Amino acid sequence: MNTQDNQSDETTDFGFEQVKKGEKAGRVREVFDSVADQYDVMNDLMSGGLHRLWKRFTIELSAVRSGQTVLDIAGGTGDLAAKFSKLVGNDGNVILADINAAMLSVGRDRLIDKGALNNISVVQADAQFLPFEDNSIDCITIAFGLRNVTDKDTALRSMHRVLKPGGRLLVLEFSKPTSPLLSKIYDAYSFAALPIMGKLIADDADSYRYLAESIRKHPDQDTLLDMVEDAGFVDCRYHNMTGGIVAVHRGIKG
Amino acid sequence: MQHDPAVITGICRAVELAIERAVRLSPGTATQLQGLHPLDVAIHCTEPTISIFAFIDAAGMVKLASYRETKPTVAIEATWRDFGKLATAADPAAALINGDIKISGDTAALLQVQRVISDLDVDWEAPLVDALGPLLGHQIANIVRAIVHGTKSTHRRVKRQLSEFILEEGRLSPSAGELDAFFSDIDDLVLRADRVESRLTRLKKRVSTLVETVK
Repeated sequence: MNTQDNQSDETTDFGFEQVKKGEKAGRVREVFDSVADQYDVMNDLMSGGLHRLWKRFTIELSAVRSGQTVLDIAGGTGDLAAKFSKLVGNDGNVILADINAAMLSVGRDRLIDKGALNNISVVQADAQFLPFEDNSIDCITIAFGLRNVTDKDTALRSMHRVLKPGGRLLVLEFSKPTSPLLSKIYDAYSFAALPIMGKLIADDADSYRYLAESIRKHPDQDTLLDMVEDAGFVDCRYHNMTGGIVAVHRGIKG
Repeated sequence: MQHDPAVITGICRAVELAIERAVRLSPGTATQLQGLHPLDVAIHCTEPTISIFAFIDAAGMVKLASYRETKPTVAIEATWRDFGKLATAADPAAALINGDIKISGDTAALLQVQRVISDLDVDWEAPLVDALGPLLGHQIANIVRAIVHGTKSTHRRVKRQLSEFILEEGRLSPSAGELDAFFSDIDDLVLRADRVESRLTRLKKRVSTLVETVK
């Protein structure tokens, strides 16, 4: 039995649902095809604008300099890529990658509007099988994308492969609140308010229900830290933000 | 206590926007700031433990960050109380030198920053005129200017009258002239006491010499 057959038998989570591994990418694609146009508006509404601060801190942690090559995986609408574009300057290069063509299309249009495409390449790619040379990237970021990846370990190993020695990985992702009270409030908000907001703004309650479920199924801070270390990264650490609702994990390729 | 990076990042962004706005309303400042690039200042508060990094980008804009790996041009370290004293000091340069603030790196850069801040001349009437039109905007600006001027002169007057009451009316504290005369008298008295003491020493020596001679 080949790898393809193995994958078709194994299951993985899609929110609280168990689906065959081969089906998850397609299901995730359906979700993001549906929300692509309203993605940034919904992000602002759902997080109260906080996602901008989470991303800003992630960019600070990246310590990206002029002339470097940055890969933004699951970069979707390109907000991180636009900021990295300024930091790397004309001598550097930013690659905006996403598995979803609809998100990339929205992202590319936004970047054209901002006049930021001169040092940005747009690539449709699966995080598990990155189509880049070994040791070719200075910094990889994946913001709110890892939880949608079918096999997170494979994706982290793929990121490790394409990073240059000394290069850094930054994973910004929803995580587990550190306070039990905040956790309860957050649960109520996620499962009651999010689908309603999704229905009102994007006319799609299911996609936002999936968002809440996928966050709960995503590994907590320490588990993800172990996964990043297992993928071969060193000097790994994480920073909790907004009481652990979000965490940014950092790993260096040794 | 571990602080939340999102909170510090939010504060940095808010301050950054305020500075950006002030610089835009002070035409000469942007050029002065551009001359300071690539200045990088690290501000470490030890109680509570928070670090903020201020730097000037190539476009001459002041940027703030809660995390930065670049080696700073100058680093300042103090408790929040010391930073508070510095912020409210009448002479910040003296407070910086005489206070408990640790400075490392190129201190000349701080003087350049201080020069830029003192030259900052914000045309705050411009946004009012933009929003309300030249007539109403200018009138409101005049009213605000009069209120600010009135508040400042009232503050100065109250300060002067209070000091006069303490010195003249209430006699609660001596005046500077009286203090000078008092300290001058003390100095004079100390000198006289020293002279008397040396005369007594000489007299004692002579008496002991005479006693030895008589024996």
